[in-house]
Amino acid sequence: MLILANVQNALEQLWTHKLRSLLTVLGIVIAVASTITVVGVIQGFTSYVSVFLQNQGTNAMWVWPFRPPGEAGKRLGRVELDESDYQAIAMNCPALKRVSPLLRRQSAKVRVGRDEITSILEGVSADYHPIRNFFVDVGRPFSAVDVERGHHVCVLGREVLRKLNAGEDIVGEWLLIDGQRFRVIGLLEEKGSFLGASQDDVVLIPYTMAFKMYPAVRRKIALTASALNELVVPEARAQVVNLLRRRHSLEASQPNDFNVLTQDEILENFNKLSLVATAVLSGIVGISLLVGGIGIMNVMLVSVTERTREIGLRKAVGARRRDICLQFLTEAVALSVVGGGMGIGLGYGLCALASLHPQMVAVIVPWWAVVLGFGISAGTGVVFGLVPAIKAALLNPIDALRHE
Amino acid sequence: MGEEIVHALRGLDLSIGSNELVAIMGPSGSGKSTLMNILGLLDVPTTGQYWLDGRDVAQLPQSELARVRGRQIGFVFQTFELLPRQTALRNVELPLTYSGGPNRKGRAIEALERVGLGNRMGHRPNQMSGGQRQRVAIARALVQKPSLLLADEPTGNLDTQTGEEILALFTELHQQGQTIVIVTHEPDVAERCKRIVRIRDGQVESDESC
Repeated sequence: MLILANVQNALEQLWTHKLRSLLTVLGIVIAVASTITVVGVIQGFTSYVSVFLQNQGTNAMWVWPFRPPGEAGKRLGRVELDESDYQAIAMNCPALKRVSPLLRRQSAKVRVGRDEITSILEGVSADYHPIRNFFVDVGRPFSAVDVERGHHVCVLGREVLRKLNAGEDIVGEWLLIDGQRFRVIGLLEEKGSFLGASQDDVVLIPYTMAFKMYPAVRRKIALTASALNELVVPEARAQVVNLLRRRHSLEASQPNDFNVLTQDEILENFNKLSLVATAVLSGIVGISLLVGGIGIMNVMLVSVTERTREIGLRKAVGARRRDICLQFLTEAVALSVVGGGMGIGLGYGLCALASLHPQMVAVIVPWWAVVLGFGISAGTGVVFGLVPAIKAALLNPIDALRHE
Repeated sequence: MGEEIVHALRGLDLSIGSNELVAIMGPSGSGKSTLMNILGLLDVPTTGQYWLDGRDVAQLPQSELARVRGRQIGFVFQTFELLPRQTALRNVELPLTYSGGPNRKGRAIEALERVGLGNRMGHRPNQMSGGQRQRVAIARALVQKPSLLLADEPTGNLDTQTGEEILALFTELHQQGQTIVIVTHEPDVAERCKRIVRIRDGQVESDESC
């Protein structure tokens, strides 16, 4: 019953000093609102990235030539990855299902009639489609002959079509890519954008054709591959690493002259990033909690002084020290929990505001963030309410009743 | 550090029987406040005994002191000491929230009716006159049915006529069997009591029944 009376009393006090209470809990509001917002955005991004990676085709991995930093890297000879490496990997890595070269040029000029646009060019094999889970839905993909002979054929992403103001009837037509004539044989399905960048803004040509057009990339190709299933991804990685080290005649003491990245590792990297964001968040939350907590302590100390006579009276009618302590602690916690509630509301509001941005991912506020928000605000109330509450409890009733 | 030990009361021996109406008088510095604090269990004597209702309460621990104070002493103050934002009823209920027990509201209503404020239960202190406020305070003191009603200058903040009414109420409560001690320096007030104890320099100067 006493607890109920305390809570009622605390809420009345809060309501009586509306403005004061509001200003006091500002720090808590900011702390909880930023927790909710940042956690919501991070969660949103995490699920967005994992969905994206799923769409990349599960079990995917990438290999590219890479000179490790430092002295060991300098002592390596030429850092190369060429078509023979690709062939060897395709032949000798049983844990791999498919492998395709991936020769990427960030800007290639595509010209139809008088219209010229720039797009991303990728030299690939037909295995690219199942690896990336990115298929041709109009026309046809490259045939083995196209790749082997280096035919002048290309497959366009939908964004390229939009930029060219062209329809699906472009299949079968000819266009110029960096000055070379290509026939369009197929169109890629719509893939959507990732972090604001369209994945459909891409032109695919046979990698053999890319070798002819850009001879410089012959010795520095990248590969994309997929493992048989998720379980053998590490094994596939090991097979690729062992094979390439042998082929490149690397000694045990030398580092790899290439990099292998699996999807898990990308996810891991992203998780590291969100960990950093979480650490920054903790900093903000910590500071605002400290500020908010001190604000609460201050206002509670003022309240204790203001209500010294009330404390004296309560003691005179039978309140024990712990009753008074509990009363003021309840008030501090009520104050901070109300602040926490407002912070949660504000956090949801900020999330909704963030979602209005067209390229924003869907923000997901997990239930535990709400619980955490209430938890930290109540905790702050207890910690910073303790000193004023104890001060109130220890007041001598005679002095308190005489207080002016 | 040059602090002087002052004995506010020394060798004081006083016994107040059940159902007495006693006035305690004395000039300032006489020790009457200290006596009242000890009687009200707000303070404990350095040495000596205080028997309240057949029990020595002089050396009880803090929490037990609060418990006995809540259940057996009813305080009435010069400045009423009501919680300003709470209704008369909630003010009277206050001691019961600490001692617990059933039917708090009913007991509070009963106490308010006893002081003639059955029709003012929902009013806040600022909606009531000084006399009404003091009646609420008396109801709050009575709600636990205390062994001792302790009033400190209960008419000090009231005009003469209202003071008379409050004293009449005390007399009425006394007739109903309530033990009452009134601390005052007003001879008019003391005259209404059956017994006057005068304190001076921490000792009983005179103790006369009239």
